[in-house]
Amino acid sequence: MNSILKKVAIVAMVMVLPFIVNAQCKGFTKKECMPSLKPYVYNGQLNSAVLNEGDVAELLLTFYSGQDYRIFVCAQDMLGNVEFKLLDTDRNTIFYNKDHDFVKFWDFKSNSTQQLIVQVRVPVAEVKSEIVQSGCVSILAGFKE
Amino acid sequence: MKTYIILFFTIIATVIFNTGCNFSNDSNQVDNDSLNNVDLNGEHSKKVKKIFYNVPSPIEMTSVIEKSGAEYKPEILNSYKIVDKYIKVPKQALILGVYGSDLSYVRLFDQIQLSINYLSSIKKLCDELNIPEEQGSFAISRMETNMDNRDSLLEIVTETYASADAYLKENERGNTATLVILGGWIEALYISTTIVDFDLEQNKAIIDRIAEQKYSLSNLVELLKSYPEDKDLQEYLPLLEVLKSKYDLVQIEYIKGNVVTEKDKKLTTINSIAKVKISKTSFEDIKASILSIRSKIINN
Repeated sequence: MNSILKKVAIVAMVMVLPFIVNAQCKGFTKKECMPSLKPYVYNGQLNSAVLNEGDVAELLLTFYSGQDYRIFVCAQDMLGNVEFKLLDTDRNTIFYNKDHDFVKFWDFKSNSTQQLIVQVRVPVAEVKSEIVQSGCVSILAGFKE
Repeated sequence: MKTYIILFFTIIATVIFNTGCNFSNDSNQVDNDSLNNVDLNGEHSKKVKKIFYNVPSPIEMTSVIEKSGAEYKPEILNSYKIVDKYIKVPKQALILGVYGSDLSYVRLFDQIQLSINYLSSIKKLCDELNIPEEQGSFAISRMETNMDNRDSLLEIVTETYASADAYLKENERGNTATLVILGGWIEALYISTTIVDFDLEQNKAIIDRIAEQKYSLSNLVELLKSYPEDKDLQEYLPLLEVLKSKYDLVQIEYIKGNVVTEKDKKLTTINSIAKVKISKTSFEDIKASILSIRSKIINN
């Protein structure tokens, strides 16, 4: 009986884990990420999600000519070195943070208005484990007036 | 044994509680299997867990107005005095966006008292929408003490909207946040198209910015489509499709240039050229289409 209850508790724990992780995302961006955008003006839209190791997320963004932008990829430490790329709509790489020590933010200037894609990839843990690592990832865009 | 029983029931109660709070139509949180039709790269996007669609904020949209030297026309705005006439939640969310753009516009012309009045109405709407004050950062007193400081005003406006957006999305109310974005985007375009004269050379920057909204419109349409069960958002979809058909006649031609990365400055410059072509007829059609959507938004 004791062992059955133990198993049920573990199954229930697995069921409830996503909700706990999701709750971790609450307030994370505002507290941990938004202050780092300064002196750029945050564009006001929250792009955050709970991602697992190996997951990819993308943000489709319009860069206006004559404005400077800062892209800041903010992730919980447990996820390791989160990669981010800036791609054009033909999926050519314009910037890759792996080439710059996995820097968390970078500034961009476009001489013409265009759509660009910010692609974020959560690394897969080098040591295989039963538990898949998940955490909150936010992609923030700031601009200068 | 007793511990396991307590643990089991606690966990089950937590699951039920979480599910119970999750009745919103926030389908934007789903994996992107339903979003594979986005204009990225079909095969690639299947591997992407989540795609975000960003629409320019009212501040970003109205900033070009400042540079153009356009005339100040407060009479075209939606009055802050009529805030009480909006009693339904979807309408309040749309008007919250509308007032955000109106506030961004009056701020550009240093209309501090009017800015405070709009912010007061915004606070009222946020109360009605149950966005907590601490999240909204509605520090009207902060504005009053920074009357002559435009940067502080910008910071307060930005913080207010960012916090409201974050609060709504983090509380499974992404559909309400989308209504705010929709209202703000339409109002900003309404202001831009109303204050410019197509034939004036000095207005070319604004005209180009209006034309370039072709991209943001696509993002907005995709954003609305990600809430298929929200009837308030879906009501606006056909109107946006009409606007999109007008925008189809706008041509933006790209000439790719080199990309320069300056490691020490942590800066990458993309040297491409875009040529925007918009005819007067197209502009007038877009303007009329925006006016009709805006009328639907501001009228009860």
